[in-house]
Amino acid sequence: MTHATATRFETHIGDPVSDVPAVPRSELEEIFKDIQSDQRYDHELNGCLNCGICTATCPAAHYYDFSPREIVQLLWTENLEGIYDAMQEKIWACAQCYTCAARCPFGNSPGGLIMLMRETAIKHGMESAKSVLRPFSRVMLKLISTGNQLAPDMITADHFPDWGPNISKVNAPLKVLRQAIPMPTLNTTVTAWEVNLKTSIELYTIWEETGVLKQLETIDENLFDVIVDFMDEKREDWKDWLADQEDKDED
Amino acid sequence: MSTRNDQPQTEHFTGHGAEWRAANLSSEQAQLATAWVEQKIDRRSMLTNKDRVEDVRDVMWQLEKDGEIVVHRVEESHQPAMVKTLYGWDKKIPTQRLWHHKSCGQCGNIPGYPVSLLWLMNELEVEYLDETDQTSCTAWNYHGSGIGNLESLAAVFLRNFHQAYVAGRAEGQPNGYYYPLVHCGTSFGNYKEVRQYLLHSAKLRERVKQILGKLGRLVDGKLLIPEEVVHYSEWLHVMRDRIAARQEVDCSSVRATIHPACHVYKMVPEDAIYDDAILGGNRLAVSTGIMQALGTQVIDYSTWYDCCGFGFRHIISEREFTRSFAIDRKIRVAVEEAHADVMIGHDTGCITTLDKNQWISKAGGKALELPVMADCQFAALACGAHPFKIVQLHWHASATEGLMDKLGIDWRAKKAEFEAYLEQVKAGKPEHLYDPRRMITSGPGYVRIERRP
Repeated sequence: MTHATATRFETHIGDPVSDVPAVPRSELEEIFKDIQSDQRYDHELNGCLNCGICTATCPAAHYYDFSPREIVQLLWTENLEGIYDAMQEKIWACAQCYTCAARCPFGNSPGGLIMLMRETAIKHGMESAKSVLRPFSRVMLKLISTGNQLAPDMITADHFPDWGPNISKVNAPLKVLRQAIPMPTLNTTVTAWEVNLKTSIELYTIWEETGVLKQLETIDENLFDVIVDFMDEKREDWKDWLADQEDKDED
Repeated sequence: MSTRNDQPQTEHFTGHGAEWRAANLSSEQAQLATAWVEQKIDRRSMLTNKDRVEDVRDVMWQLEKDGEIVVHRVEESHQPAMVKTLYGWDKKIPTQRLWHHKSCGQCGNIPGYPVSLLWLMNELEVEYLDETDQTSCTAWNYHGSGIGNLESLAAVFLRNFHQAYVAGRAEGQPNGYYYPLVHCGTSFGNYKEVRQYLLHSAKLRERVKQILGKLGRLVDGKLLIPEEVVHYSEWLHVMRDRIAARQEVDCSSVRATIHPACHVYKMVPEDAIYDDAILGGNRLAVSTGIMQALGTQVIDYSTWYDCCGFGFRHIISEREFTRSFAIDRKIRVAVEEAHADVMIGHDTGCITTLDKNQWISKAGGKALELPVMADCQFAALACGAHPFKIVQLHWHASATEGLMDKLGIDWRAKKAEFEAYLEQVKAGKPEHLYDPRRMITSGPGYVRIERRP
């Protein structure tokens, strides 16, 4: 029986003829432990017979070197080197449609497992996560500082040239078009809907309490600093407003 | 090097074990071998797991009985309609007193989507609240970037739903007056998934309870869990006959294709609506139901089950995938195979992806044109809504003019009316679907109802 003599992951894990430093076994174990210790892990992974239904229906598998079956197998067989290798690029190919989960006869959710691996890649500050998420900065800034992921002023022809000239079929300033929407909450350009000051501060508190800001700091320290400054100001605004209310009540 | 079956091995893969060997099938043989699994995700295929799936609402009622949580009920005052889900379980869909849980993608990019829904509610005299005390569900970001976690998703879910529960107080109404109606398919799928984990994990509940306590978002010191998580397409579905009764435009010549949203029926699939009278009860009922009620011809096509290509991350930073998938697997099939006049969806990302990515098809040598809009937008058009003031079709990149011609809507005249209306807007006299003062329920800008003139 002939054994495989070289694999792609060995260039990352420790190829004997490469200068790339080997990843210590302890780090591989720690990464796997972080994935496995998520309370969703046992819900998302129940077994696998390699039937391949997940990959047959996977949209990302049409266009990328990506297979949800492979991801499930790596985790199921606790192939630590393979898991590490998949976290360098493959996990970012998944389109998160959950077609795989809907089809799996074992009730696995490869898409759900991918999310645990993405979270872990971020926790460990992997370069793959940093480079993949760089274009996400604008979105993260908007979401964390306002409570809205997407805003009208982000949808411009400059940012989406492949969408063609019809970003709007009526030629008028964005502000006017937004004011012409008969839902008053939508008469804004900087957020998808007008968000109450208290609401955005509540969301920011959630980010702080759940470690999301820590994730962000690991991935993009500059963006983290900008957001913290921005939100400190908002919190001051909120405190001022509360103080005003107390003064009014006393009056 | 040769393999055990003496076939040349040109590439090695990880994660298969050393005994793995390439099948070396021709593309035709590979297609034959895998076609059976590519075909469909129908009800029958998902029923194979039925015995292993529990109704998480049973856990919810027990936790309430044990004094652990408070359940936000769908009350009689919400005038619920009953529907059947995948396994034949009942689901209550509230039809009145609704709190709009808006979608960032819809509001930011396809505003005619929520406006059409609110317009239909005005027509049907449905009481609702659309307010500023709501955040994005943050699940688009989470599924795209991995920034976030189960605790943050759960805390955001319960914060927003708590606000829905107490929002009526700003108008002098009791707690629970309004029931949340979720506009976005990803919010809907994410909230249902998170609800399952919350109900199953005391540890998660405890952690999230601490956070919500800090925000003042507990009810009697307990977490508030919704009895049902309800998507707007489910409301539209149960209201379809009442909507069809108000129809003004004959739609019988329209060939419609449906794009069902993955996060609506593939996430927590046991909660999706199936109806024996719609597509044989074998596929998701929402959207198809309203389009049939409006008299359109709903045309099947071979990639009905495929996703749209949105990808959450890909739509932002890797659109080569998004547009290739959207064009090759959805738009091209709907145009060339189904000869569709329109593609109807019920989710934010799908509508955006399928609508915006057609122009680039010119680069591939063949321009494909297919109007794309949400089910509620089409329903509003059919009921006589203004295509620009209400349905806001000018935000859509796909060519909707041909469809309006087919429906007998004079879009040129309507567009001229809208352009004239913009002058009125510039003069500070915009028209609204509801009193704008209602949108602020606390904090800066809030005016107590008794103080409103």
